[in-house]
Amino acid sequence: MPVTEREELAAAGRAAGLRLTAREIADLLPAWKRYLALVEELRAAMALEDWDDGD
Amino acid sequence: MTAIEAMTSASLVEIARALRQRKVAPLELVDAYSRRIEQASSLHAFITPPGERARQDARRAGRRLAQGESGALLGVPIAVKDLFATRGVRTTAGSRILKDWVPSRDATVVARLRAAGAIIFGKTNLHEFAYGVSNANPWWGIARNPRDPSRSPGGSSGGSAIAVLAGLCAGALGSDTGGSIRVPASLCGCVGLKPTFGAIPLEGTFPLGWSLDHAGPLARTVADAGVLLDVLTGLDAGRRARRASTRGLRVGVLKGPIVRKVQPRVSHQVEAAAAALRRRGLRVREVTVSEMEWTIAIQLVTLRAEASAVHQRWIRTRPRAYGADVRIRLQLGALVAGADYVLAQRMRGRLRAALERIFRDVDVLLLPTTPISAPVIGDRTVRWRGGEEPVDGALVRLTAPFNLTGLPALSVPFGHAGGLPVGVQVVGPWMGEVRVLAVGRLLEECAEG
Repeated sequence: MPVTEREELAAAGRAAGLRLTAREIADLLPAWKRYLALVEELRAAMALEDWDDGD
Repeated sequence: MTAIEAMTSASLVEIARALRQRKVAPLELVDAYSRRIEQASSLHAFITPPGERARQDARRAGRRLAQGESGALLGVPIAVKDLFATRGVRTTAGSRILKDWVPSRDATVVARLRAAGAIIFGKTNLHEFAYGVSNANPWWGIARNPRDPSRSPGGSSGGSAIAVLAGLCAGALGSDTGGSIRVPASLCGCVGLKPTFGAIPLEGTFPLGWSLDHAGPLARTVADAGVLLDVLTGLDAGRRARRASTRGLRVGVLKGPIVRKVQPRVSHQVEAAAAALRRRGLRVREVTVSEMEWTIAIQLVTLRAEASAVHQRWIRTRPRAYGADVRIRLQLGALVAGADYVLAQRMRGRLRAALERIFRDVDVLLLPTTPISAPVIGDRTVRWRGGEEPVDGALVRLTAPFNLTGLPALSVPFGHAGGLPVGVQVVGPWMGEVRVLAVGRLLEECAEG
């Protein structure tokens, strides 16, 4: 069970078929965190959409 | 300066006319440009400079001109970004992976240039696989801005912008997935046009993001960009734009948070451009598009996923064959969840709808091409009041919305900020190239006047 951000990223990389070295994980981590933050912005914006007014 | 040397800094329209009138021969022109390329080699504009084949093509064009043949670009040397396939000439896409690829066919755009009589004049430098805007290419040299070699020319079509600005060709071909034509045009001080999505075919073009990729011209003048556009599309928007009236056109100057983080000297030039258009009889007002706030998030998710799909085999089997920045972007793309990509497309649809609404009220939008002038090579962040922004993100913040929506967008030089050129961006509705070019031409006149 991944417990740190690095472990989580390494696990995600393995699941995607990437062979990430420790150095690559360190290089990728800031971009990964920025990506997650931007996706959260999209989710928040999407939540404003009026999509459950039917019932 | 000799007459032929002076001709290397003339516009494409002037060069084509001089060739038709046989005031200059294509071979003289090719040799003059080639001398300049040698002198400017430290700018790293070319991955494969024009070789003997260009001279052969120039001799052939000279014979055709002597026989009275015509063609929009007969004998005109055009440089081509090195991700467009060229038959028999190495096409690297700025990468090490494709360093030995010699295509057996021309990309459609290259074939169209040749059919119009152009001399394909070398393959220009780009950010590796066009995946970045610094043009600091680890394999083929760090491209440098001719205005100040300590600064970036922008990218990914940086080599094409350098070649145009430094007088190394008469015009150039680039590609634009998030701003890659307009950003270097803005930072170097030339004209760059990203036409409507799909207007120029991309067969034979190494892809970056299939739903975002566009090809288009970089040129010395708006009229030059129009000539190249007509050759590349087979349509006549460039020709019609030369005669189109701009009087009474409605101009929306973009306001709102997305243009709040803009260098004051850049904002000042955009305001000056708006004022100049008002004086020329256009109706200018301010507009906001709140959906543009999502640009970076939508663009990042979309492009990371699409580029990773293009590179999915190599990034898993040969990750060390990429430069560090491109490798990180591609590895990140492999981690994008399908649901996140779908979410981004949903938001992209909302951005498209918002811009469609705006274009019911205005004929063109006006905004900076880039929020900053050319950064020093190696600068990673821009400081704003209240925080920092990655340089790469800042450079595409105002161009990417029009890759996401496919709308035509033109960057025209308008004034300077601290001695560096400023690009003003004119955006039109779907297939609105005529009015975009017509307003661009007017801005060019105002900037010169």
